[in-house]
Amino acid sequence: MGQPSSPSRTTYRATIERIFDHNDDTRSLFLRLPTDRKLKFVPGQFISILIPLGDEMLRRPYTVASPLGSELIEICFNRVPNGRGVGCLFDRAPGETIELMGPFGNFTLDHPPEVETVFIAEGTAIAPIRPMLHLAQLGKHAAMFLLYAARDAEHILYRDELDELASRDTNFHFETMIAKNSATDLYQLLHDEAARRWIKADTNRARQFYICGVGKGVTRIRDLLRGSGYERRAVHYEQW
Amino acid sequence: MAKRRRRRKRGNLLNRALRSASLGGCEFRTLNSTHSLEDIFMAKLRVKFESGEPDRVIEFDPVKAPFHHDGRPGSILDILLGHKIHLEHACGGNCACTTCHVVIKEGVDKLSEAEDSEEDMLGQAPGLTPTSRLGCQAVVTDPNAEITVVIPRFTINLASESRDEH
Repeated sequence: MGQPSSPSRTTYRATIERIFDHNDDTRSLFLRLPTDRKLKFVPGQFISILIPLGDEMLRRPYTVASPLGSELIEICFNRVPNGRGVGCLFDRAPGETIELMGPFGNFTLDHPPEVETVFIAEGTAIAPIRPMLHLAQLGKHAAMFLLYAARDAEHILYRDELDELASRDTNFHFETMIAKNSATDLYQLLHDEAARRWIKADTNRARQFYICGVGKGVTRIRDLLRGSGYERRAVHYEQW
Repeated sequence: MAKRRRRRKRGNLLNRALRSASLGGCEFRTLNSTHSLEDIFMAKLRVKFESGEPDRVIEFDPVKAPFHHDGRPGSILDILLGHKIHLEHACGGNCACTTCHVVIKEGVDKLSEAEDSEEDMLGQAPGLTPTSRLGCQAVVTDPNAEITVVIPRFTINLASESRDEH
């Protein structure tokens, strides 16, 4: 068995400047690149964190949650049962460095939307949508609606910021959905609400959607929308 | 090598005998009262690199998947990583980027069919070909498959490449 081929990608070494715990299992790391380096990303893209574990190097993707122009790169994540990579990230402390590559990904919004845009997210999957919402503030944009679900109010991330955004941007609205109990399927809630609001309520099929979340619930919503008359290319999604 | 050839020959003979039956991994294992099928069935994956590195050939038993922990178990990514061959996978093998884009030169029909998510993602891959697949999603489904893949010179995300640090 030969030696592994080495990747040719450029990597960055960033310093963890600070840590913020959103709740008991969700954390943000704020990363600073060396002064002579800059990460140019499009809202929605992710970076790949290189995590040494034993004799191997894991690659784990984390969406850039910070708006364009931020001094620090923010990544946001939560604990995952048996999550080898994320467990290591929870052990990191300010002042330590981590290696990353990127940005990557095509789940992006690169200019203020010109058609009505619906964002659908669950939990930490708000991360790619947050910089998109900020980008939209840079110009005139069509109506935007965020439907955001979480298992409890504590897991609605960036709540104050979203409230503030909605208060000063009359063309942005958002609504949260909280699980009734631990057995609630959040993606079914989102699915049913999407059907009610954007399929059954009218015949407008000119909207675009950005859906982000974990597991098959994302593709269920995708299929619902695409199967109800929305253009395939108007239904953007990222499934983790 | 001679032993491997014998194993392949035995595997091919037995596979032909059993071809009319459903040959899922579990059923293989139920038949091993007299044979160690895990030793018999071997698939072959030949890897060609556009970058000019020498070809690599992996012989493996698909039933033993996963070989690593990224990508779908038994996928081309899983097999390569499990055999110490690097294939980029910036998203961790979650079908969220195109960095594991490979081109299948032989054995397309020995792989799982691409689902919508893979097709959507591939549509944005640079250098797309009719037999392009995402390494993290293409699972070897035939225990005796002979597959040849090419790893393109730029198996990386075009958007990323153009927006990388300057």
